[in-house]
Amino acid sequence: MRLAELLPGLAPAVNALPDLWLAQAIKAQFSAWEALHLVSMSVLGGASIILNLRLIGVGMTNEPASEIQRNLRVWINVGVIGILITGLLIALPDARRLYNSTAFPVKMLALLAGVILTYGVSLPVARADGDMPAPARGWWLAGLAATALVLFFFATTSGLNPGLFHLLAAAALIVLFAIHGRMRWIYLAGLLALFGLHFAATHVLIDPYDFARGDPTNKAFAWVYAAWILGFAGRGLFGARPGAANRPLVQAVGYVTILVWVLAAAAGRWIAFA
Amino acid sequence: MVRDFLVWLQTDLGRGADGAQSWSEALLGTANFWGLLEGTHLLSLMLFFGTILIVDLRLLGAVFRNTPVSEVSAKVLPLTVVGFLILVSTGLALFFAKPLVYYHNIWFRAKLVFLGLALLNVVVFHYSVQRGIAGWDALPKPPARVRTAAVLSLAAWLCVIFLGRFIAYEWLECGKPIPHWVNVAQDCASSEYGARDVASLVQ
Repeated sequence: MRLAELLPGLAPAVNALPDLWLAQAIKAQFSAWEALHLVSMSVLGGASIILNLRLIGVGMTNEPASEIQRNLRVWINVGVIGILITGLLIALPDARRLYNSTAFPVKMLALLAGVILTYGVSLPVARADGDMPAPARGWWLAGLAATALVLFFFATTSGLNPGLFHLLAAAALIVLFAIHGRMRWIYLAGLLALFGLHFAATHVLIDPYDFARGDPTNKAFAWVYAAWILGFAGRGLFGARPGAANRPLVQAVGYVTILVWVLAAAAGRWIAFA
Repeated sequence: MVRDFLVWLQTDLGRGADGAQSWSEALLGTANFWGLLEGTHLLSLMLFFGTILIVDLRLLGAVFRNTPVSEVSAKVLPLTVVGFLILVSTGLALFFAKPLVYYHNIWFRAKLVFLGLALLNVVVFHYSVQRGIAGWDALPKPPARVRTAAVLSLAAWLCVIFLGRFIAYEWLECGKPIPHWVNVAQDCASSEYGARDVASLVQ
């Protein structure tokens, strides 16, 4: 899926964008704007991770979710506004490449899903200390649908789909934080064993340059990783202690909101490769 | 001596008797693994810098003013440490894939300097500034020396991020006509592309 295929009528306008004076001005300082994009992403990432981990029931659990929301919403706004402004600016000189990129529309869709889930669900749920107001339920369904679409395009786009391992790694890490005691060690041991098996399969049993066999093996392992991670996450969700901020639905909001921003960032990075 | 070691690292380590690729060359030549490493390095920045920002903002008195600093640190810094460990391990692997390119890159060298300064600030904070924490732990706005340490931390890490991003650009590569001091700073004379001073070209 490329914007060039979806919106072919935009081609003349897109081709003209890099010649604008603003695009030329940005091009001269492109690396600095790129670095600012990364900083904005990090500001959003940090604030979003802490807020949503609280919804999962991890991290700053001594504070009510509403207190964390009150303190961090400004920084979430700074991060989102920052990525939008710097993203628009760095897209101008690069417009033709982005128009023909398979990763760019996936990133845009993930950005939309991230905004819906953050402003429509995560922040309102945290503000209500774990209660889900009626409008948030609607946004939750819309955000889930958008996230499912992102996942579909991410997984089915050749060249971009290796980036899904970023999502798996992030999900694995969150679940590692979220589970406790003996289960954490069992979970970690399983992950490490899977990683060892994966490496042996794709580097010893199969020649690393044998892509015809390596590609389906990688995909099969991605499913196994996902099943392992989801299994333990599900156990955490449905074995949750009673308490407003730890209800399965609220925890799910926390997981999905963090992961959708990871998807957006991963798709952004893979614009360089896909 | 450092360069000789890096040449060995890049071209000899792991090379079989049949003259196949070294481990460094094999890592750089992977279809997707190098991209995954680079992506993970960037993504872990969200975890590392994003969480250290929150702790530094608390030290500045900008967020969680009603929560003791020690509590924010205890809950948030473990995330920062995990982010840092991922950043360092992926960073080392990325360096291993192209050690000579990074060795002769002024932005990489500057990044290491600021990384050192940022870590020094962490040590100074831990062993000096934090000693009297009982006196200011619960203050909405900690004392000036604590806030100074937070500003220095943020400034150093921002420099690390900016310089890290600049590494990808080739403006000051060895072999190109560049200022003399840059040639010296990144030891271009010993690189395979040599040193070309822009001043000598102008004359």
